[in-house]
Amino acid sequence: MRDRPDAPAHLSVRTYLTVAVVLAIVTALEVGVIYIRRLAPVIVPLLLAMAAAKFTLVVLFFMHLRYDVRPLRVIFTGSLAVAAGLAIALMTLGGEFLVFGR
Amino acid sequence: MTAPGLALIATQAAPATGLRSWLTTVDHKRIGILYGVTAFAFFLLGGVEALLIRLQLARPGQGLVSAETYNALFTMHGTTMIFLAIMPFSAAFFNYLVPLMIGARDVAFPRVNALSYWLFLAGGLLLNASFLAGAPPDAGWFGYANLTSRRFSPGPAIDFWVLSLQVLGAASVISAINFIVTILNLRAPGMTLMRMPLFVWMALVVQFLIVLAFPPITVGLLFLMFDRFFGTRFYDVAAGGDLHLWQHLFWIFGHPEVYILILPAFGIVSEVVPTFARKPLFGAPVVIYSGILIGFFGFGVWSHHMFAAGMGPVADTAFSLATMIIAIPTGVKIFNWLATLWGGAIRPTTALHFAVGLIATFTLGGLSGIMHASPPVDLQQTDSYFVVAHLHYVLIGGSLFGLLAGAYYWWPKITGRFLDERLGKLGFWVLFVAFNLTFFPQHYLGAVGMPRRIYTYPPGLGWDLWNLVSTVGAFGIAAGVLLFALNAARSLAGPAVAPADPWDGRTLEWRTASPPPPHNFDTIPPVYGRDTFWREKYGPRPPAPVPPSAEAALHLPTPSGWPVITALGVGLAAGGALVHPAVVVLGGLLALVAAYRFALEHHDDPAYAHQVGALGVDHRKVAMWTFIGSECLFFGTLIATYMAYRGRSVVGPYPDEILNVPVTTVSTFVLLMSSLLMALALAAAQRDDRRQTRRWLAGTALFGLIFLGFQTVEFTAFVHEGLTLDRNLFGSTFFVLTGFHGAHVALGVLWLASLLVLDLRGRLRARDAVKVEVAALYWHFVDIVWIVIFTLVYLVPA
Repeated sequence: MRDRPDAPAHLSVRTYLTVAVVLAIVTALEVGVIYIRRLAPVIVPLLLAMAAAKFTLVVLFFMHLRYDVRPLRVIFTGSLAVAAGLAIALMTLGGEFLVFGR
Repeated sequence: MTAPGLALIATQAAPATGLRSWLTTVDHKRIGILYGVTAFAFFLLGGVEALLIRLQLARPGQGLVSAETYNALFTMHGTTMIFLAIMPFSAAFFNYLVPLMIGARDVAFPRVNALSYWLFLAGGLLLNASFLAGAPPDAGWFGYANLTSRRFSPGPAIDFWVLSLQVLGAASVISAINFIVTILNLRAPGMTLMRMPLFVWMALVVQFLIVLAFPPITVGLLFLMFDRFFGTRFYDVAAGGDLHLWQHLFWIFGHPEVYILILPAFGIVSEVVPTFARKPLFGAPVVIYSGILIGFFGFGVWSHHMFAAGMGPVADTAFSLATMIIAIPTGVKIFNWLATLWGGAIRPTTALHFAVGLIATFTLGGLSGIMHASPPVDLQQTDSYFVVAHLHYVLIGGSLFGLLAGAYYWWPKITGRFLDERLGKLGFWVLFVAFNLTFFPQHYLGAVGMPRRIYTYPPGLGWDLWNLVSTVGAFGIAAGVLLFALNAARSLAGPAVAPADPWDGRTLEWRTASPPPPHNFDTIPPVYGRDTFWREKYGPRPPAPVPPSAEAALHLPTPSGWPVITALGVGLAAGGALVHPAVVVLGGLLALVAAYRFALEHHDDPAYAHQVGALGVDHRKVAMWTFIGSECLFFGTLIATYMAYRGRSVVGPYPDEILNVPVTTVSTFVLLMSSLLMALALAAAQRDDRRQTRRWLAGTALFGLIFLGFQTVEFTAFVHEGLTLDRNLFGSTFFVLTGFHGAHVALGVLWLASLLVLDLRGRLRARDAVKVEVAALYWHFVDIVWIVIFTLVYLVPA
């Protein structure tokens, strides 16, 4: 874990617990918002934003990417960007979104 | 060649000759030779298939082979040449040369390197076993759905193709991860990324392309396998499936694959041209950036293979523009090679002949490629012989010429012997003329309307003469290849007289003996900049970082039989799918046990504990992050398919009728909390708190098992409600996506349980914390994948 000179030797248990509590709360919020009809127009971006927040928290703190060397961050974020780009393109070309039309 | 007083641990006990030494070798140089020899054997097989194709087409109305046999011949020719010849030829060069060129003693994971080779061999043998079974694949190397469905290809032919490609894909990805770690982490002190030789740079780009491009085709092949074996509906139009899905998944892989095949050749030319022009590569950084750009843009052009599929004007325009843009970095390389030759003190060796041959013929192939960037033009050329001509100008005139340049260039380093230059130049001219005789007329044949993949044609269409010319040329190519084989055989029968640096080389491999000793270098060489050996010989030499002091005892990896046994198990399991489920289980168990022994083989050996490299990070950690990158593409493709097929099922049950959000929320919470326990386990392991490590590892595994329990209950309930794998598109996509995630969780539980057992036996020490860290990375990744699945599958409304 200690790959950057300025990185702490260990994240504290308190930090891990805080992240876990936030993850639990956001999960509860995710499930809660799908039952609120007034949020229907923004439900998809809202859910995606909350999922992205949880995803980021796990990657940065549990996987320690925040404290790792730059090449590892580049490998992960680069791969993730390619995966996301291809997935969006595939969904678009498959008709999930109507950006391109058919 | 070992310096006096230098002891070689491990190699002393290793058998130096004989079959066992080759079966258990983990030496990157020997593995490189194995790749090269095996690839050449498959290349000859693919060549014979090509000659049969050309004989059949030599004259109109020819009846040498039946239509069915012809289909099998062009399918096997394409698959063999791409996966079993050109790719492994490149792998041979990567294996032999990359560690030497970066000043390393071996690759990061020598036993994994051996596993990659044996998996490749298993996949190649399985594919060609189809001939012995009388059922060679016959749906084209592209295997378009639904030609490949059980309905239209009922026999085992496509099963051979699907299963062997899965094994070959696994071999390629494992090897690519190994080389990424090797290049990033095993460089000699002072060898910054921008000081790396061009060949190493192109190798690095290619490995990333493999890691990122293979998962989509793996998913596509898994869908096909599930359609054929378990009746899923991925490529079933009647069930709402889209045949374009296969084309997308295939070409998302297929176009980067072109660069996987060509960039190694570009790397070789970038080494050969400066050496024989006695000049530094003109604009080397620009050539490096061009290679990176080619790799990057390579992921954005795949649909130019599908202009005829009817994607619509916006998609056509986007992919057309991307295809035109990718020509720019490719053209940059051509100009840089020409500028390097310009004004150089040229030595016209055979290697340089092939390098210049590549520049000329690849340029022609590139120009015909640009034509395909224009949808209206492409529509005229699609499925015609014009495309066959273009493809071969790229893959023979480009890849093969480059690989032959490399063969002539590095032959003295690999064998300690020279190839005959006169015979080599004769071979070059025979190949060059015959190649153009074969494939240039095919541009014309395509332009006047000859479709590809036809087994015969009637007379009087104006195709007769040029088909005959093309066939004569094909036999000329065969003669050129035989001349190379003859040259190689004569060289190997001769004395080993090649010095360490026969060409006045510029890079580190020329700094050691020909062939190099098992440990490559007595001491890690100093690095003075790009073309470091040239600078060392001719100066000026800036101060080099001080390499590690001459090791009194070098540690080399011990030979191991577990890679070949593991590959045997995988091959048996894959082949068993064609015979009986019991064979699959037997092969799977063998692979599992062998992999377990493989993983623990050096667990207690302190010599294997410290694997921190140039990045300041353990090799295993870099490998896991790279694997996770590859898995992003794997799950990204599965999720995208689920989303693209959402709402397309033509019969129920539908997602909103069956998904149980409250229950899945509980299982999601359990999995999220397992990540917390895993983080605590790692923290405990790093501070060597054995008791807490055990506690949190056990907790993580238990939470994983609870998650799997929830999933089992969910799956059982769905089946009772009528949702099965083969019921509808929702069932197919849901079970495959969540099932693969569940399989990852199960594997993670097994991994954690293994660590726990090691700990209980007192074999998990402070120095093994990195093993817990690598397992933790995997576990957290499985967790974040579920975060995405939970949102997109369960929460986002249909």
